[in-house]
Amino acid sequence: MELHRLVAKDVMRRKRRVLYAVLGVVIGIMTVISILTVALAAESRIYEQLEEYGANLVVIPAVSQLDLELGGLGLGSLTVGQNYIPEGKVSLVRQITDDMINHSLGIQDERDRYAAPVSPKLYVSSEVRGVSVMVVGIDPEEERRMKTWWRIREGEYLDGTDQALLGALAAELLELNAGDSIVLNGFDMTVAGILRETGSNDDYQIFVPIRMAQEAVDREGMVSSIDVRALCIACPVEDIADEINMMVPGVRAVAVKQIAMTEMGMMDRINRFMLALAGITLAVGMFGVVNTMTTSVHERIRDIGIMRAVGASRNQIVRTFIYEAIIVGILGGVLGFLAGTLLAYGIGPLIFPGVSVGYVPGYLPLSLALAIVVAVAATLYPAFRATRIRVADSFRSL
Amino acid sequence: MLVVKSVSKIYGEGTNRVVALNNVSLEAAKGDFIAVMGHSGSGKSTLLNIIGGLDYPSSGEVILDGRRIDAMNEDALVDIRRGRITYVFQQYHLLPSLTALENVLLPLTFRGTNNGTQRALDMLARVGLDKRAGHKPGQLSGGEQQRVAIARALVNDPALILADEPTGNMDQKTGMEILELFRQLHREGHSIIMVTHNPEIARHAGEIIVLQDGQIANRVEQGRSRNNEH
Ligand SMILES: Nc1ncnc2c1ncn2[C@@H]1O[C@H](COP(=O)(O)OP(=O)(O)OP(=O)(O)O)[C@@H](O)[C@H]1O
Ligand SMILES: [Mg+2]
Repeated sequence: MELHRLVAKDVMRRKRRVLYAVLGVVIGIMTVISILTVALAAESRIYEQLEEYGANLVVIPAVSQLDLELGGLGLGSLTVGQNYIPEGKVSLVRQITDDMINHSLGIQDERDRYAAPVSPKLYVSSEVRGVSVMVVGIDPEEERRMKTWWRIREGEYLDGTDQALLGALAAELLELNAGDSIVLNGFDMTVAGILRETGSNDDYQIFVPIRMAQEAVDREGMVSSIDVRALCIACPVEDIADEINMMVPGVRAVAVKQIAMTEMGMMDRINRFMLALAGITLAVGMFGVVNTMTTSVHERIRDIGIMRAVGASRNQIVRTFIYEAIIVGILGGVLGFLAGTLLAYGIGPLIFPGVSVGYVPGYLPLSLALAIVVAVAATLYPAFRATRIRVADSFRSL
Repeated sequence: MLVVKSVSKIYGEGTNRVVALNNVSLEAAKGDFIAVMGHSGSGKSTLLNIIGGLDYPSSGEVILDGRRIDAMNEDALVDIRRGRITYVFQQYHLLPSLTALENVLLPLTFRGTNNGTQRALDMLARVGLDKRAGHKPGQLSGGEQQRVAIARALVNDPALILADEPTGNMDQKTGMEILELFRQLHREGHSIIMVTHNPEIARHAGEIIVLQDGQIANRVEQGRSRNNEH
């Protein structure tokens, strides 16, 4: 017979007492897990909301305007510099943004790397069916990531070179449907799809792959601006803008003021507050566990005496209690995880209306580890104390 | 084999001071059967506990095979309990969660012997309880529980068995059966020191020590019971 079998048998006999101890652990773990789960749901909800803000950083050509003056007479202004950004700078902007975000998120592993949407654009004014329209050359993939709210009303999203995507009002004005053909600056194109109304400028515009737009106006390798959605809790978008201005010549990065950022900072503070709360609950729960464990040890003073009288060493006695604590920890960890997750489902929507709470499998090992550590820590001292009692006294104590 | 030299044990201080043992000396050779008698509170259990290293004397020496038990640290005492000395208690002191067999296996478990089942079964057979190996203490009578406790005491093949009123909780007939078991163990060469109130039982011992207020009041040698063949 091995020591752990002995413990297992004892636990089976003292189910009620063991369950009390488990309950103590469950309460602590439940609170921690529910808080973490709700916080995570709230955070991803905020990220979701933030995505709907679109770009919060716009990179435009660095154009300086020189005011011309002669003898106090204003002669207007002279624009110096280019109105376009060479395409090569897009990847530079992307790299700076991603580096700063990932650095602040503490992500080192290449596979986990977060990639912010960086969407270059080329604006071209053109004429379709006699109506002058704004044609926007986009990188279809990046633009779709940027504008998560875009929905296709008809047809499909851009998927090839000779295609155009129309804003809802543009399609209405031009009386175009998906599948129709149009001519843009002498290029034949097919209307791939039509967007639903968004209530923004997009409704009046025609989107084409950026290559097409460049070809149409003979501006190969040029973009008008670069939209970036640089969402980052710890790194203000202003910092990213500054970095781009410093590192990339010929462009000007402008941070778009975002209410969302304060929301993010709030979330960060709320998170910290909740974690502190969870820590306190855990500490209080720990007292409960210490209490039940102490009682559990005390109830078994006689058994400890018996075991020692038949040859158990103090280490072996302490070990039996550690085994018991591990059993308590495993049960408490699993149940605490389940209870905490359920609790999160219950209270999450009450605290943060609109969040969709999801269970986080990754928290199971966390709660197991936490529960085992708490249970073992709570047992060690009373168990150690119990082995200090003289064997003769342990028989007398009951 | 065992020498107890001027052992005293004082509990408490001031008005609570109790002299449980006062300058007690005795000797036991290998194969001896000593009965300890005396009124309740005379110090019998205290003496047995100190001999077995379950408690420490306030003064005096307990020497087992030339080594002082009273000065031993816990680790050395654990070694002693794993083979030299075992106990049989009035209250049996079996672990209630374990079956008879597992209780008998317990000393082997703590010694790290994981294949002692056969030996434990042999010991149960030895006390006539092999049929009840799978029963828990709660399912056994007092006499049967004490037999399990004796089997447990035997499994490590001890040199000295300390028994504190092993028949105190049972009727005359069962008590005599248990005593018969001890006499058999004695004949096989185990040394036994047994606390008892029963003069009938004490009659079978080689020596009777009578305690009174913590002192030895009387010592009766009944030499013929000493087992010298071993
Ligand atoms: N831990 C203790 N603290 C204080 N006094 C104690 C303690 N243990 C024993 N005593 C006292 O020491 C004396 C001897 O006790 P002991 O248990 O050895 O008697 P005993 O001869 O075994 O009695 P019984 O026949 O009732 O078992 C008693 O007066 C008892 O009250
Ligand atoms: Mg007694």
